[in-house]
Amino acid sequence: MTGDDQKLDVVLEICGISPLPQDKEIMLKNFVTAREQAALLWGVAEARYEEPGLIFSAKL
Amino acid sequence: MSEKYLTIADAAVAMRDGTTTSVAITQEILDRTATLNPALGAYVEVTADAALEQAAAADAALADGIDHGPLQGIPLAIKDIIAMREAPTTANSRVLDPEWGKGTDAPVVARLRAAGAVFVGKATTSEFALGLPDPDKGFPIPHNPWNVAHTPAGSSSGTGVAVSAGLALGGLGTDTGGSVRGPASVNGHTGLKVTFGRVPKSGVVPLGFSLDSIGPMARSAYDCALLLEVMAGYDASDPNAADVPVPKYSELLSGDIAGLEIGLPIPYFFEHEKLDPEMKEAVLGAVKQLVDLGARSEEFELPYANEAKDANHIIMVAEAYAYHRNDLVNRWTDYGYATRPTLARGAFYTAGDVAQAQRFRMMWSRLVARAFEKYDVMITPSAPAPAEKASEMTVSRRLLTPNYTGHWNLTGLPAVAVPVGFSTAGLPLSMQVIGKPFAEATVLKVADALQRITDWHLAVPPVEALVAAA
Repeated sequence: MTGDDQKLDVVLEICGISPLPQDKEIMLKNFVTAREQAALLWGVAEARYEEPGLIFSAKL
Repeated sequence: MSEKYLTIADAAVAMRDGTTTSVAITQEILDRTATLNPALGAYVEVTADAALEQAAAADAALADGIDHGPLQGIPLAIKDIIAMREAPTTANSRVLDPEWGKGTDAPVVARLRAAGAVFVGKATTSEFALGLPDPDKGFPIPHNPWNVAHTPAGSSSGTGVAVSAGLALGGLGTDTGGSVRGPASVNGHTGLKVTFGRVPKSGVVPLGFSLDSIGPMARSAYDCALLLEVMAGYDASDPNAADVPVPKYSELLSGDIAGLEIGLPIPYFFEHEKLDPEMKEAVLGAVKQLVDLGARSEEFELPYANEAKDANHIIMVAEAYAYHRNDLVNRWTDYGYATRPTLARGAFYTAGDVAQAQRFRMMWSRLVARAFEKYDVMITPSAPAPAEKASEMTVSRRLLTPNYTGHWNLTGLPAVAVPVGFSTAGLPLSMQVIGKPFAEATVLKVADALQRITDWHLAVPPVEALVAAA
């Protein structure tokens, strides 16, 4: 198993999700992409000083 | 031209000058649907008897001098995540409680009903407005009427196919990351994502509660205006519904766009390596036509668009995961093969990731608001490319492909997809016009101005021949 495989298994166990064997390949791809997406957004340092509204409204 | 391809506006005139009746139009659409729906998969359920009763009532009312406006007697398709009392709401899923919304109208459907609309049936959707068609779940597989081997996009696939193929004169879709504009774009008609809160979304199965919206889909921008002026307005049943006056949108489409300032955001939306050259050329050609009508356009730099796409994804699947969490644990195999791993992505982000996505959202909204201090509208392609082959679509590929629509769900802004031509392969090309909050009239006016001098939105797919050859 790769490191990502192991991390995915931990996440699935914590969340109580039991995918079928045939789902694992796509879920691993999704897991890796999800972590890359999150890293990309964490890279936007300017956004760290924003305070999001509790309920987003369309008022800009 | 046959009645089935009349616009809503044309049909409304024809019903009032005695050229036709709602029953005649509705019957023709039902006949056509009976022939083509098995191949196109536009409808989950056709409510033919009820539709004909509604059409007869609309005709009788008009004969008695009772006129509820242009939607009276107009056959519409309703996406099957929106409650409509004649038929169950399935969300095209085995997971949704069969009792969900049973026998009730969502407020938006009730408003259309009060305006005299006719409901042809419940239109196919991607499962819970998210997955890909799954042949094993027993729901129709929608196909693009311009080439049945290509995707009609999602998630409002059925409404998009129905409008394009003449199986309805208009209809409702929902849009969380592009699900009205995508199908409108690849099926060759007009589709409007409204400002967040503009149309009450109660009575709709949620996907991403802070991103969801209900939008009109029809051949023309003018038809979308006719639909929206009935659909829009506050309703206390939706905590996000905006208490903002509803203009008579159709009366604001003057065709006059002199002096309009158009911003063309670069680099992501016009210089992306995956942007199809034909799409880019068609959109810039349409912008030139708008400039010839008196508008002004210029490119400007809008940073972080790639990140905005991902922020929309993260927030959408996080909110969807919150809704589906228990069923993902207990009913994994009841979801379609593409839906379950997509929903489960919501488990792959940490609480901090989602908070950062929300912080990014506010920053991005501020960047966009700053751009709108200078421009009346922004224009981009509706999608990087025409409809892809259905056989080549995968969950992973969708995640990695650029997207030009989710950015405006993130900000809550109105955006309309407008046909601007065809690729050399004969597939529709589309332009997206984005506006300020509650400026639906402005984006529709720009689309309408273009449609007064072009007829891309009236093009009819060669669907009978394609279906016969498939």
